[in-house]
Amino acid sequence: MSNSRQSDVVPPPPHQRILLVLIIVISRMLAQDGGVQFIKTKEAVVTKIWSPPCHGYEPFVRACSVSYYLFMLFVAWTPGGKNESKASSRTNQVLVIQTIGPFLYAHHVTGSITGYRTVKRLGIPDSNIILMLADDVSCNARNKFPATVYSNNRRSLDLYGENIEVDYRGYEVTVENFLRLLTGRVDPSVPRSKRLLTDERSNIFVYMTGHGGAEFLKFQDNEEISAFDIADAFEQMWQKKRYHEIFFMIDTCQANTMYSKFYSPNILATGSSEIGESSYSYVNDADIGVAVIDRYTHLVLSFLEGINKTSQATMQELRQFDAYDFNHMRSHAGIRTDLFARNPSEVLLTDFFGGVTQTEVVDLTTELSLTSDIASVSETNGTRMQPSSVRSFDHQWEKVERQAHLQAWQGWVGSMALCIMLVIGYLSFN
Amino acid sequence: MTTFAALVFVRLLLAFSPIPDFLADNHQLTSPLTSFTRLNEGVFLLKNGFDPYAGELVRHSPAQLVIFSTILPPSKPLFHLIWTLVDALAAWSLSSVWSARNKQRNARREALIQASYLLNPYLVAPSLALSTSTLDNALCILTIYFASKGRPGKALLTLALLTQSSLYSGLLLFPISLLLRYGPESRLANPKAVSDWSKLLRYLAQYAAFMAALALWSTLVMGNLRWIKETWGATLTVPDLTPNVGLWWYFFTEMFDHFRNFFLMVFTALNIIGVVPLTLKFQHDPLYAVYLVIGNVAIFKSYQTMADPGLFLSFLSIFPEVWSYLRHPLPTVMWHLYAATLLPLFNNLWLGQGTGNSNFFYAATLVFGVANGAAFLDSVWAGLTVPYGEIKQDHSLIQI
Repeated sequence: MSNSRQSDVVPPPPHQRILLVLIIVISRMLAQDGGVQFIKTKEAVVTKIWSPPCHGYEPFVRACSVSYYLFMLFVAWTPGGKNESKASSRTNQVLVIQTIGPFLYAHHVTGSITGYRTVKRLGIPDSNIILMLADDVSCNARNKFPATVYSNNRRSLDLYGENIEVDYRGYEVTVENFLRLLTGRVDPSVPRSKRLLTDERSNIFVYMTGHGGAEFLKFQDNEEISAFDIADAFEQMWQKKRYHEIFFMIDTCQANTMYSKFYSPNILATGSSEIGESSYSYVNDADIGVAVIDRYTHLVLSFLEGINKTSQATMQELRQFDAYDFNHMRSHAGIRTDLFARNPSEVLLTDFFGGVTQTEVVDLTTELSLTSDIASVSETNGTRMQPSSVRSFDHQWEKVERQAHLQAWQGWVGSMALCIMLVIGYLSFN
Repeated sequence: MTTFAALVFVRLLLAFSPIPDFLADNHQLTSPLTSFTRLNEGVFLLKNGFDPYAGELVRHSPAQLVIFSTILPPSKPLFHLIWTLVDALAAWSLSSVWSARNKQRNARREALIQASYLLNPYLVAPSLALSTSTLDNALCILTIYFASKGRPGKALLTLALLTQSSLYSGLLLFPISLLLRYGPESRLANPKAVSDWSKLLRYLAQYAAFMAALALWSTLVMGNLRWIKETWGATLTVPDLTPNVGLWWYFFTEMFDHFRNFFLMVFTALNIIGVVPLTLKFQHDPLYAVYLVIGNVAIFKSYQTMADPGLFLSFLSIFPEVWSYLRHPLPTVMWHLYAATLLPLFNNLWLGQGTGNSNFFYAATLVFGVANGAAFLDSVWAGLTVPYGEIKQDHSLIQI
């Protein structure tokens, strides 16, 4: 990162500095990544230490220091709320974005996939979920248990499983693709499964995880998106009526800075750590060699494990839970409600996380007869069909039939006329 | 006469053999304007009360649609019989044109001319494929026959009927008018300028009247004016780029829309622009001018099939005085053989097996165009050099 960011980072006290240097040096020596760079100059070492902690560090170090979360955005499907009209076809869309590639950051992926599973369990179909994973962790050569992704070190449940639909994978996870996805300015060749097909009644849950810092989020290893970019993208979405409400959740270092720049209405935002804080991973798997999930995501999803589609649990209850408790998280998770019209205690979790559709049972019996007086509809609820439209259809059909006879008749008359014309012509003219 | 009957019999045998089944819907033999399938489609639509010109499929003239939906229903045996009889009529007319030109009857020569028409593969194959270009060719030869006999009314009525289905044949009006005025006798050897251009406007007026009557009839039968856009409009604007052996379709598939109108104008001009010069150059022998205009149009028309050069080549048989003055008859024949071999071969490679692409077929059509062009240019040269007689040894004929 550039030196300009150093001002955002508070250097630790001297004894911690030495300890950190030792830890970093030793872990880098032990690193499987081979990305060890023994910085020669003192300044460089200092730079490495003091640069924002959202760079590639070994899991050992990460367990001691920072975990980077970029939360994918989940767009949630909300059931017809109390204030909604009966005919609400509110779509809940979920965007899950994990932005860093190497196997190192498997915990991001795990967090993303766990979130993906949770959201699917609560009723959101794959057609409403866009999952962006920057690396294929399950099939990575470093994964000792190929084709699997576990979220705890007991390896009790394979999250990858049989039924996962990753929409953007690998190098397709870029800032440009993400912004185009949000704003809808996609190339005509982009398939529907990779588009954000929302309208002004859609609730979107956006979950991002990866490596971030003060007002930026890192994508792959070569680009970053800033909080301003996301804020502008959301504003574009608001102008183009592409969402009704957004729930923005981000799990990275200094995550709360990412939502500090939003200025569009109806956005409820939450992050895992304040400015200057890092977000931590939860547990390591010694066999795989990396951390398997992040704290904030784990705690949020643990809470969500306890609810089902019919739950009336609100956002306020989420806030009060462990996910927002410093003792569990080791960072101050935040929430931003000033842009949101409703009180968090009124917002159901299933408004965003769940995909409950509303059905209405109507008692309607209809008799259809194929005569002009077709509308003998008997019903208890519902509208009465207009018979006049049916009658005019009958008339039109008769007209077509009459025209058909006319044409055929014209055929014979026409051909006879032609023959007579030609015969007369040939006989009379020289 | 017996030869003629034998030839017709052979054609009937061919028509009722299994060969036509292989030739049906071959886009080298038929075009969107002449296809039997589209004729069937149009007849079906008309019979069931739909406007056949509402879609962009049917491009046949209303006269053909109406006749074939009522009097002559499109059943294959009947059509094969009719097509063979129409070809026989055309062959007989061609030999009558020659006898009108020659003033002496020569049965052997007439049989030869009939054979050149009835056995010309370029004409036999489209006829077996039931392409309506057979009818167009027959009407063309009938027009020339009536004109050679000095019957302006009949000739112009036939020409008007022909123009209904083949728009470019209307360009024959100028040479046909001269032919009506001055007769079909061979005057190639004595070119003299025409002195009297007086009666030609009368022929134009008569032709226009016949055209108006037929157009009125077509409009009344169809109920609207859509047929103009779908039949004549298709000839001029080429909306349907089905491959054929002509020069237009490939060019227009790859052209940018920006230039489309310009090139439509250019290609149409190539047809129109030859009429007046050829007729004026051969005003002393208008039948030859008719022949050359047919050749010009045959190369450059928008939906060319094999029947159009076929007519041109068969027509050469009535100008024997010209044969010894042809400069390169052998290369022309070889070119034609070459093209006739390549066209079905590349068509199969492209559309049958899929190992080739349209460029192959287009190259073969270019060869075909070169062959036709060679025949046309050679005929022009031969017609011009007839007056100079045999060139003495060590002498050559040049044009200053």
